[in-house]
Amino acid sequence: MKAETEFFKSLSDETRLKMLWLLMAKEEICVCDIMAVLDITQSKASRHLRYLYRLGWVTDRREAVWVNYRLSVAPGSPEDRQLKLMADILSSRPEAQALKARLEQRLAAKGQSREGAAVCRCF
Amino acid sequence: MRKEARFFKSLADETRLKILWLLSGTEELCVCDVIDVLGITQSKASRHLRYLYHLGWVTDRRDGLWMNYRLCVPPGSPGEKLLKLLKEMLASQPEAQALRKQLARCLETKQHTECARRRKSSQKMSLQELPET
Repeated sequence: MKAETEFFKSLSDETRLKMLWLLMAKEEICVCDIMAVLDITQSKASRHLRYLYRLGWVTDRREAVWVNYRLSVAPGSPEDRQLKLMADILSSRPEAQALKARLEQRLAAKGQSREGAAVCRCF
Repeated sequence: MRKEARFFKSLADETRLKILWLLSGTEELCVCDVIDVLGITQSKASRHLRYLYHLGWVTDRRDGLWMNYRLCVPPGSPGEKLLKLLKEMLASQPEAQALRKQLARCLETKQHTECARRRKSSQKMSLQELPET
């Protein structure tokens, strides 16, 4: 039953929980956005994202020096059901709503500064 | 969002996962049952059961030296939904099935032991306490 334990462990960390919550709101997110919104270091963000990647929660797409992540959860799978349950719980939490708002702000600001360029200019 | 992470952490430990699995298949378990079936020490069993107790997964009932635990997840609650998911995932797992069988055997052989005698007498007492209708 070790595999099931690992499965439930994914959401047992606050940073990973927040990451999955943000990823549910957007199609794809760059590591730099996650760093900015959660106010964590690049090494912490990448470590947790690689963890989620190894367990099959997300896929990655490299863009220059940055890596973009998106959810890769099959509809109806245990992962999908757990995410829905998490979203149910979090949707009424002000802290979770504030995170989503911060992500929107961040993406809006980035969109203006990049002026339509297809590359991520994060700093 | 620490509280929510802690909620999911309940199932992020193999021992707690197994305890919840056993509890979901029976009404009430004595700490000694958990010790026997999972082959763990009393201190480990009690520690994890207290953890689950503090997070609201189980309620306790003292019976002499031993503590009994039962699930307390209200229908429709996040806990109940998570437990349902766990049960579905484990239903086809040979290891999980073997644990359930072991528990059934354990409860059967226990009928003659001290713990079971106490349980029977406490059941009788609670029956006597029921008001006549």
